[in-house]
Amino acid sequence: MYAKVVLVKDTDLKREDRTREFYTRLLDCLRETNLHSQIQVVRVADIGIYDRGLVIKILPDKVTYANVQDTDIKRIVEALSEEKVVEELVFKPKAKQYRLVLRNCGKIDPENIDEYISNGGYLSLKKAVTELGQQKLIDEIKASGIRGRGGAGYPTWMKWNFAREVASDQKFVICNADEGDPGAYMDRSVLEGDPHSVIEGLAIAAFATGASKGYFYVRAEYPLAVERIEKAISQAYDYGLLGKDILGSSFSLDIEIRLGAGAFVCGEETALISSIEGKRGTPHPRPPYPSVKGLWGKPTVINNVETLANIPVIVSRGGKWFAQIGTQTSKGTKVFAVTGKVKNSGLVEIAMGASLRDIVIDICGGTLSGKPIKAVQTGGPSGGVIPERLLDTPVDYENLQKLGSIMGSGGMIVIDDEDCMVDIPKFYLGFCVEESCGKCAPCRIGGFQMLNYLKKISEGKGKPEDLGQLRRIAQAMQKASLCGLGQTASNPVLSTLKYFEEEYNEHILNKRCPAGKCSSLVTYSIISEKCKRCGLCFNNCPVKAISGDKEQGYSIAQDKCVKCGQCFEVCKFKAIDKK
Amino acid sequence: MGKLTPADLDNMNKNSSGNAKDWIKVGMSSCGIAAGADEVFNFFVEEVSKRNLQIEIKRCGCAGMCYAEPLVEVSVEGLPSVTYGAVTKEVATKILEKHVISKMLVNDYIFDIDLDSQG
Repeated sequence: MYAKVVLVKDTDLKREDRTREFYTRLLDCLRETNLHSQIQVVRVADIGIYDRGLVIKILPDKVTYANVQDTDIKRIVEALSEEKVVEELVFKPKAKQYRLVLRNCGKIDPENIDEYISNGGYLSLKKAVTELGQQKLIDEIKASGIRGRGGAGYPTWMKWNFAREVASDQKFVICNADEGDPGAYMDRSVLEGDPHSVIEGLAIAAFATGASKGYFYVRAEYPLAVERIEKAISQAYDYGLLGKDILGSSFSLDIEIRLGAGAFVCGEETALISSIEGKRGTPHPRPPYPSVKGLWGKPTVINNVETLANIPVIVSRGGKWFAQIGTQTSKGTKVFAVTGKVKNSGLVEIAMGASLRDIVIDICGGTLSGKPIKAVQTGGPSGGVIPERLLDTPVDYENLQKLGSIMGSGGMIVIDDEDCMVDIPKFYLGFCVEESCGKCAPCRIGGFQMLNYLKKISEGKGKPEDLGQLRRIAQAMQKASLCGLGQTASNPVLSTLKYFEEEYNEHILNKRCPAGKCSSLVTYSIISEKCKRCGLCFNNCPVKAISGDKEQGYSIAQDKCVKCGQCFEVCKFKAIDKK
Repeated sequence: MGKLTPADLDNMNKNSSGNAKDWIKVGMSSCGIAAGADEVFNFFVEEVSKRNLQIEIKRCGCAGMCYAEPLVEVSVEGLPSVTYGAVTKEVATKILEKHVISKMLVNDYIFDIDLDSQG
């Protein structure tokens, strides 16, 4: 048996991977000092640190060295034999992940309530019901400063307090699990990995407000999440953690699942309520807010999955403890689903106030291709893009809004120079136009018109005055739309116009798409000097737009070309020109 | 078990600590299953019974490293618990033979991301 383990990984992106070489050197050095029977050296696939040269981690000591040079190996081995640490090589990561919301994800069996309970589960519900009572509970949530994680960032305690203060024979709590932003799946992961934490959060919310009935509103596209919540609810009933007289108190709560049919707008709370009532999922003007007059006209608290998963932590560790994490205005952590052109796509939970650079470079390892990042998109179809030069901005509700984006539910899409800044807003706007419920004119007509302008620009038919027109419609939509969908649908367009207007102008004035994404503006041609006449492009063209033979060479007939890019992809000699 | 009282909850919470048995956890959320975690899970269950190994095979949710699914965390007495990523049947065999039986970590498949909760 080995007393220690040394993990090695070369994280330098610019050179060929030298992990194996270092591994052998380190082993040799250990053999010379006769330590090789006590220390195992292991090559790892990923050490969680990127672009810091050779990284070594020693377990169980938890010492990490970065930028280790060949000449350092000897002193590291010496330090190992003497149980010392080489201080000047120690690496302290700037960005560290937290595990509050994801505390049990990947740790416990989500289908086993006993595992949840043995990790402290339902103790917060017990504390709320048997010790705190409604007032103290709401005070704790107020002290924590937690704000809604669904995107808008409304203080959670205020929602609860409004609902509590209204006298009513029946009140409701709803968990909003209608996660619909493209690329966002934090809520799905929490529901699949730790469903009891959300049920506990919902039960605590019900106790705080005096609700006796709760709903999970989940998208039908999340079958595994639905299955696991169903199981979890029935287990909680078996243990008397739901149902009548919970934990011997007078507090009773029934929870049911309602499946959403996949309409994006149903994530908006008033539309969600309509949907549960069995009506068409269209939003309603607020006020009255659901906390006062919600489901079937009764006071209703609607909280997002991630907000609810935070609640048991706040109750068990105290609001004050929670409020230490984060920034002045945004407390706690936020889970982001990082996707797009990023090396390590997945979930990242960081304290509010960490910078975008911490998230996408230090934790997620930058882009997959190694190319520089052009921008990061946050907030899904209601958000905007943040250019590379502003990546040091600390992430919180206010800062992202100032930059023309929003926190949103936590989708984060990394964009590199192969992505076109006209194409991206076109995609998001297209999404909102499709998902618009059509009830109010600004959203229904405004979105459609804006999309037409974007299509025109991406086809090279745009005019300089179109940009002003886009801005004008965007402002009208923001001001006059009924619900959040229409009010924010123009954000992707406005933010790309703000930071990447020159790219719009390239499309309009020079009829060129710098990223090579807008197919109407791209032409492929064969560079005859580079062409080796292998015929690969000829064989791969799906529309037979390439003619010629191995003797005479090949050429592309522009009138037949559908600009699929196949020839460009298959050419081994870079002889296809893409302009 | 019937309805719990507050005291039952406390007991269940306390009695859980000190459970040092060896285990393998397979991440079985949508991302893991899409990457083949089902197959890996079943493979572990079969092999462990075939080889008569004293180790528990468990399911868990996604730890967040979706790019490296299927993820398998292994905890064996005397070794630090580590997470292997992109696990196939071949890697799973190595994990059983090398990590579980010979008590040595397997080269080239560990994804060592520090996810300790703080505070």
